[in-house]
Amino acid sequence: MAAEVLRMIPTKEPVEPDDRQLVEQIRQGDGAAFETLVRRKTSKVYGLCYRVVGNAEDAKDISQLVFLKLWENLEKYDPQFAFDTWLYRIVTNVAIDFIRNKRSRDNAINSNLRLVKTSVDPEQTVTVQRKEVESVFNIVSNVLTAKQKAIFVMSEMEDLRSSEIARILGCRESTIRNHLFNARRLMQQQLRIRFPEYARLWEESQ
Amino acid sequence: MMTCQQFRANLQPATTDPGLLEHLRHCDACLDYAMGVDPDLFFRSIGGEELVPPGGIDAFAGDVMSQVRVRGAETSLAPHRSVSVWQRLAIAATVATAITSAALVYRLEHSTAAPQPVAQTLLSVPNVPAPRPRSAALATKSFVETYSSHNATIVEVPNDGSDTKVVMIFDDKLPADL
Repeated sequence: MAAEVLRMIPTKEPVEPDDRQLVEQIRQGDGAAFETLVRRKTSKVYGLCYRVVGNAEDAKDISQLVFLKLWENLEKYDPQFAFDTWLYRIVTNVAIDFIRNKRSRDNAINSNLRLVKTSVDPEQTVTVQRKEVESVFNIVSNVLTAKQKAIFVMSEMEDLRSSEIARILGCRESTIRNHLFNARRLMQQQLRIRFPEYARLWEESQ
Repeated sequence: MMTCQQFRANLQPATTDPGLLEHLRHCDACLDYAMGVDPDLFFRSIGGEELVPPGGIDAFAGDVMSQVRVRGAETSLAPHRSVSVWQRLAIAATVATAITSAALVYRLEHSTAAPQPVAQTLLSVPNVPAPRPRSAALATKSFVETYSSHNATIVEVPNDGSDTKVVMIFDDKLPADL
């Protein structure tokens, strides 16, 4: 009985507004609501930017640019659609533009980079270290186009489904699957060439 | 988080199971095993982590908000330049009218300014000596040694004492390439 009474008493904890409510508040001129939105989405935005561009400082700059674009274009957001889909679209567009511009500036600098680890004898048994995987990814993924890389990151690291990525990028799901297939194939090729000691781990098991 | 035994027992190629992926992303010991099952899991192992920008979320949010305030101030200080569709059409129509009028006036002026046979032949040039070619460019052009016409107005251009006589011929029937 006492427990039931307790359950009926309304809690005094403030209920966090969802994304759409925050957007509505921002549209009405509430600057604090925008700051709440920034804090809520920073990790998501920065994480995706970091995976795509592979550099912490660049990812930070891009993330800031994303939030500025978000603020400037908030009137265009249609609440019928998920806010995160719209946000991811801005992130991918900004990140893809950044990669394209950067590649045209310092084309092929990274293609000559190689981890010191790769000088290891390919016959030697290695244990994969998680931190190395990140460096390997940054090097191997240079063979991908900016769009392929963004799709690969969203699928493999952000665990988004192909249908969600298709909505974000405004294309068909089959296109996304095609990009993913090509991206995986290219990455494995590069891994065999540049990091044979890792490639050997699965080739032995096949 | 599931145990390594559970992970290895349940792991399938191309898995999307959140529990398996969580284990994969936290257990180095199972990463080698996972690569043997599915090579694509190699890069899946680096996902799923909450990343924070350098300096932390507070500093990041502060930077963004200060930039937003700067942009807001710039926008409010900038003159209001929005032009309605009708205003744009009116501007375009005015510009088009001005250009057309100017073209018409230009054509009218040039058609009336054509050489009139006001003064009749001032000088007859039965044997105009052929002008000496001054340069290779001039030498390639055709020239006339004699020219006679009833309607032509021929004006001698004062020269600087040389023996070359330069004349200007105004004639509607003059070939265009002269």
